[in-house]
Amino acid sequence: MRFLMMSLLCLSLMSGVVEAQLEAEQIGVSDFPVPVDSWFVIKSLEGSYIFDGDSGEMQGMISHNWVTPAIASGPARKEAYLVESWYSRGVRGTREDVLTIIDMNDLSVKAEIDIPDKASALSFRNHIGLLGDQRHVTVFNMTPAQSVSVVDVIDREFAGEISTPGCAIIMPTGETAFMMICGDGTLQYIGIGEDGKETVRERSKSFFSVDSDPVFDKPMKTGEGWLLISHSGRAFEVSVDKGRMKISEPWSLLSDEDKEENWRPGGPQPFTVHRNSNLLYVLMHQGGVDTHHDNGTEVWIYSLANRKRVGKFEFEEEVSHILSSQEDHPKLYVFNKEHKLLIYDGRLFRLLRTIEEPGPGPGLLQTLAHHD
Amino acid sequence: MNSKKITGRSLQALDRITGNGSRQLARLTSRRSFLTRLGTMITGAAVLPLLPVSRAFSAEPVEELGDPQSCDYWRYCALGGTLCSCCGGTHNSCPPGAEPSPITWVGTCRNPVDDRDYLISYNDCCGKSLCNRCWCGNSERERPVYFPSKSNSVLWCFGTESRAYHCTVAVVLGEASKQD
Repeated sequence: MRFLMMSLLCLSLMSGVVEAQLEAEQIGVSDFPVPVDSWFVIKSLEGSYIFDGDSGEMQGMISHNWVTPAIASGPARKEAYLVESWYSRGVRGTREDVLTIIDMNDLSVKAEIDIPDKASALSFRNHIGLLGDQRHVTVFNMTPAQSVSVVDVIDREFAGEISTPGCAIIMPTGETAFMMICGDGTLQYIGIGEDGKETVRERSKSFFSVDSDPVFDKPMKTGEGWLLISHSGRAFEVSVDKGRMKISEPWSLLSDEDKEENWRPGGPQPFTVHRNSNLLYVLMHQGGVDTHHDNGTEVWIYSLANRKRVGKFEFEEEVSHILSSQEDHPKLYVFNKEHKLLIYDGRLFRLLRTIEEPGPGPGLLQTLAHHD
Repeated sequence: MNSKKITGRSLQALDRITGNGSRQLARLTSRRSFLTRLGTMITGAAVLPLLPVSRAFSAEPVEELGDPQSCDYWRYCALGGTLCSCCGGTHNSCPPGAEPSPITWVGTCRNPVDDRDYLISYNDCCGKSLCNRCWCGNSERERPVYFPSKSNSVLWCFGTESRAYHCTVAVVLGEASKQD
């Protein structure tokens, strides 16, 4: 026993000597690299995970709570904007809604702006929109009355609330205006002044039926305007010219043969556009009417320039979300049923990389481009 | 902001949407209120059988088939959320301590027992953490978020103490008329 005690004492003293020879490490904080076009965001209920599509490495996280619909990137000011609803006791207590400004130099919180406690919840990219003037952020409210809060992110103040009954989904257009999709099959155009107050409001003619063939509540930004796709696969290009809304005649994503085989677009995030090459990617599945939330088994690629399908690709597993990078040569980020994030070459459909642990899973995939 | 304000505003908003507020105001301020009331009664009696919930007054319970803890259960044909029946509640009652939302959206589902369509109110249960069990994402006759009265892509905890979402129940309101 005495021998054992002596041995332990010697070992203990020796380990002390070894420790004394090492220089103690200092804890640090990693620098946040300058974002590049290969970066993308997996927005979950527990925060937004930022990855580099080239390396597959996570770069950092933007914290927010589960209510946050989406991140609105403002690359010109190196900021990002998001809405949060907080309760003083977590799920109870006093509610406080804020527009949070993230500094994209280091992912710190730069400012908070108090907004009406009306912000809508659930993941929708177009429940928030940074207008072209880079000054006004518009936030969709639902109480269930529908309205839009306008926030001045330069003067850091709430600018006003605009009532928008019957309409939702914010599509920024021009410098100081946005369009919305309305339940009567129309679009609504609202322009604001420098003070954030409404100056003009227009309503389009009705161009779709919400009963027979509604457009998805997931518009895509194109070079010219926005692209809307209906449950049955009809595409509408919408834009604004000199304050007047223009809505194209619909064109179909589906041939007669496709329709006979019951192909339909669908999924939680079924569309994405690569703007430089004017390519549209659509998740497709075979199913009946009202299967618009069903995951895709294939992605079909269309040229928006000549409104024709130019390719398709079959996935091994069902896919729920797709997003194109906005690099010159696009990557396609794909979230599948096995909870994996796959990165494909967006033209050749070679699998470039798999992120096995992408976090808790997406409400949305986003890039850090202005409207994505 | 206190919850009474939230509740009041939400109900006013709903009232505006349905137009009930203006119709009620018109009735109360009419100089011919007696005739108006009489007319309302007559019109109401005539219209009643046409309402989509016309059979809701029946005391007969709905005949049931299926497992309320399964997303395939017939009432869940348009439910998007987690099932309260897996969280300490049932298909039509919130789990203990949760608060049912008084504002909801209504879907239409076919009962496999009698092959009839029923109006189903999808009420969210609120004020507690998410019960992350038995997720269900059905979309029969469901519509996008810009048409909220038929959308399950809305967090329906309106008019409750807290907007925190816990789970969803499916309550039969009545048999749907053939127009629905």
